[in-house]
Amino acid sequence: MAHADTMPAHKSPTAASLSATFNPYSWVVGGVFAVLALPLVATLGYALATRWGATLTPDGLTLAWFIELWTTPRFLAAFARSLFIAVGALALSLALVLPVALLAHTRYPRLDRWMNTLILMPFAVPPVVSSVGLLQLYAGGPLALVGTPWILIPTYFTIVLPFMYRAIANSLRAVDVQSLMDAAQLLGAGPVKAFFLVVLPNLRGGVQIAVFLSFSFLVGEFVFANMLVGTRFETLQVYLNNMRGASGHFTSALVITLFVFTLILTWLGNRQAEHTITEAAR
Amino acid sequence: MMAATTRPPSSATTPKASQAAYRQQPAIASGATAASASRHTDHASSGNAISLKGLAKRFGDTDVFANIDADIAHGEFITLLGPSGCGKSTLLRAIAGLTSLNAGQILVGDTDITHLPPQRRGVGMVFQHYALFPNMKVADNVAFGLRMQKVPSDERARRVDEVLRLVEMQDQAHKFPHQLSGGQCQRVALARSLVVEPRVLLMDEPLSALDARIRKHLRDQIREIQTSLGLTTLFVTHDQEEAMLMSDRVFLMHQGRILQQDSAEAIYTRPRDENAAGFMGHYCLLDAVEAAPLLGYRSKAGRVALRPEALYLSVAGMPLGGEHPERVGPGVHGVVRRHRLLGNIVRYDIDCAGVSLTVDTLNRSARTLLPQGQQVTVHVDLDEVQELDT
Amino acid sequence: MTLRLPAWLWLLPFAIVFCAFQLAPMAWVAISAFNVNGDWGLGHFQEIAQSAFFRQAIWKSLTISLVSSAMGLIIATVTCHALMRSGPRLRRAMIAFTNMTSNFAGVPLAFAFIILLGANGVLTLALQQLGIIEDVRLYSTGGLIVIYTWFQIPLGILLLFPAFSGLKAEWRDAAHLLGAGRIAYWQRIGLPVLWPALAGTFTVLFANAMGAYATVYALVNTSYNLMTIRIANLVAGDLFLEPNLASALALVLVVLLVLVTLVQQWLLRRSAQHGSR
Repeated sequence: MAHADTMPAHKSPTAASLSATFNPYSWVVGGVFAVLALPLVATLGYALATRWGATLTPDGLTLAWFIELWTTPRFLAAFARSLFIAVGALALSLALVLPVALLAHTRYPRLDRWMNTLILMPFAVPPVVSSVGLLQLYAGGPLALVGTPWILIPTYFTIVLPFMYRAIANSLRAVDVQSLMDAAQLLGAGPVKAFFLVVLPNLRGGVQIAVFLSFSFLVGEFVFANMLVGTRFETLQVYLNNMRGASGHFTSALVITLFVFTLILTWLGNRQAEHTITEAAR
Repeated sequence: MMAATTRPPSSATTPKASQAAYRQQPAIASGATAASASRHTDHASSGNAISLKGLAKRFGDTDVFANIDADIAHGEFITLLGPSGCGKSTLLRAIAGLTSLNAGQILVGDTDITHLPPQRRGVGMVFQHYALFPNMKVADNVAFGLRMQKVPSDERARRVDEVLRLVEMQDQAHKFPHQLSGGQCQRVALARSLVVEPRVLLMDEPLSALDARIRKHLRDQIREIQTSLGLTTLFVTHDQEEAMLMSDRVFLMHQGRILQQDSAEAIYTRPRDENAAGFMGHYCLLDAVEAAPLLGYRSKAGRVALRPEALYLSVAGMPLGGEHPERVGPGVHGVVRRHRLLGNIVRYDIDCAGVSLTVDTLNRSARTLLPQGQQVTVHVDLDEVQELDT
Repeated sequence: MTLRLPAWLWLLPFAIVFCAFQLAPMAWVAISAFNVNGDWGLGHFQEIAQSAFFRQAIWKSLTISLVSSAMGLIIATVTCHALMRSGPRLRRAMIAFTNMTSNFAGVPLAFAFIILLGANGVLTLALQQLGIIEDVRLYSTGGLIVIYTWFQIPLGILLLFPAFSGLKAEWRDAAHLLGAGRIAYWQRIGLPVLWPALAGTFTVLFANAMGAYATVYALVNTSYNLMTIRIANLVAGDLFLEPNLASALALVLVVLLVLVTLVQQWLLRRSAQHGSR
């Protein structure tokens, strides 16, 4: 009753839940949902099936494919490599982006506009195009990085930069970093100390969102990994591609494992996002 | 059906002149007499501009409003006044056809519009947040309704220009809504609903989103335009000052009912019941026992409502703030708890034998301010005592 | 802190890495595209223009990208409209699910489609048994358009939904009260307001499809002729490597993307000037 005054009929909670069952629009949503779910459901079914031949449903259910996958040393090694590269890239990104974002929101306000243009570049240039340049620039000479994980880490920094910068810039703005720094310095802390003791703890929420989302994005990256490094440092996605000859059930288990892994990461990120929002609302 | 009113063609160039051009009939444009005058100027048919008969609306199990009955005369300015959540905006949306009704009938003139879609009701509406179309310039926003009626473009341009002059926005015709201030947006929105010559204008808290100075200016402008056009208007607000200043009649709403339909003065000075008194002014509500010492008799009504300006103070037998009225109740002793300075008024909270009274006195001089703890005597103007049914 | 460094020094590491791994590769591509055996010239572009093979790659990339972007955009638009009219719980669930599926791309997506619609795919066999179809050719242009459209839909929904929730109910109410029906509302207010978001989303979807590589590569390796496949094959293939030719083709790809973006911008500006009708 409190808000009945301004609420049109279709927004009332009871009306909505009632109409949801008969609403033709819900059928449209359901249809698209089904289409999007189909490949995922089929893959999950295949990963859990003993055999799935010319029938509508699998013959029997088993976890054997997952157990086989999770006991394959090559898979575990690829997993470890992917984690290593993702963690390395994120650490590098944080180390490079945090000072820039901080300065853009304290000392050099014009820098923020520059950065907002710069971070569009990774979107404008497809990874395949960047690879062409990277392969030539770092194939030999003093920086012969191609074929090693060391080329992927800085390259991944460039592709997560947009997420990273936006997330950090948004939380810097949200906590009004200039006032925080001013207050800390008036109380006797130097700028570096003020940053680590006052600003950074307040950025934790925003940074965590960016880290989780970037992490899931990097674990799913294939183009750079395959073109710049390939089998010489086999990551999860490259491993998956190389397993194309293996049993479909086995690769399905791998696909599902990867998907669940990124799902957990995005879920953690979104939970953090909600947490941050509720905290900010207080 | 939209062309219920006729306007003389006009070559008006100034705002005042175009206002004259918009007048349907020689209008008598001043205060409370305007309504009764324009009642006879509009439609030839006798009867009311709008009749609401037994309107009711439910969301699930809760009544948003029920048993709404009202007759509104031609050219009348009606305010639906009430706290948020009282159902006034939903009632307005139901009259516009934007929300369905569970029961009742709406007549505009002699036409039953209860089941008509909003497009065919001939009702104009102004929204709290303007609802200007962001993709159209001011002139195109205003022209939208005429375009829908397939009015030829030269006539359209002329009428848009006229109505923009009326709201003094003719210089902004080529701007987009996002380039305008809130007050300008609302004037465009007003022009947009006026240009199609609606039979009834509905306004849903049109001033609430504006800041105080613009609100006052636009409030007067709306009333002036409404009076000069003789346009039947329903205006929703939760601001009693707005309601007092603008309306011919106020419909006081509370929990989905109309508590009282009366002139502004009557609503203010003679609230019908406790809820009405509670919403209007700063009435002190006392029960009969509490009020007896002040009145000098035991009221037969359950509750007694006293306005702060109907109470008078004296200090050591000397009346404070000028002459006291003829018929006052016996004095009651009290102590000043605190005072608040409201500009020309000083509002005292007085403790009188366990009852807290609010008393307004004219702020004649800083020397007469009473300090906290001052002993006073409180009198009541017996002609202004409201005895309420419970 | 005893050491006081000038503040701008903190920007230096970022600038160095960004230049080395973002700007330098771009610059190298732009420059080496005009490097013909040590001389400057347009030789590589001539070669691309004269080669039926490269022309086919460009043509197929454009076709698949345009068709899948258009279909993705249409489906996403209809879905967003339906979402706005659905209950809040369904809306939240669908947005969360869309978020999930937008992460499902590249190699895993290709494998999922092989399992679903490959020669022995689950759905292929089911449809064959039901006698609805005889054969699904996932590795054809049609098959690729289906996969591309599938991954465009979630992206389209995520990009468009905010614009749809920005459509205020009051605009519709006001339009109806001024005599506009549903069609007039969409024609004169709904679509014009959504238009920048629709155009922008189309551009992003198109760029997304033009640059896509992983899915096709995992699906058919290098046997399907697309621009990205050709570019990669010229720098990382098994036989002859022609990095400068790859740069030229990459530059063509970037120019096509820029062109579409410019057309979009031009259309937006034009509609901002004339769209007020």
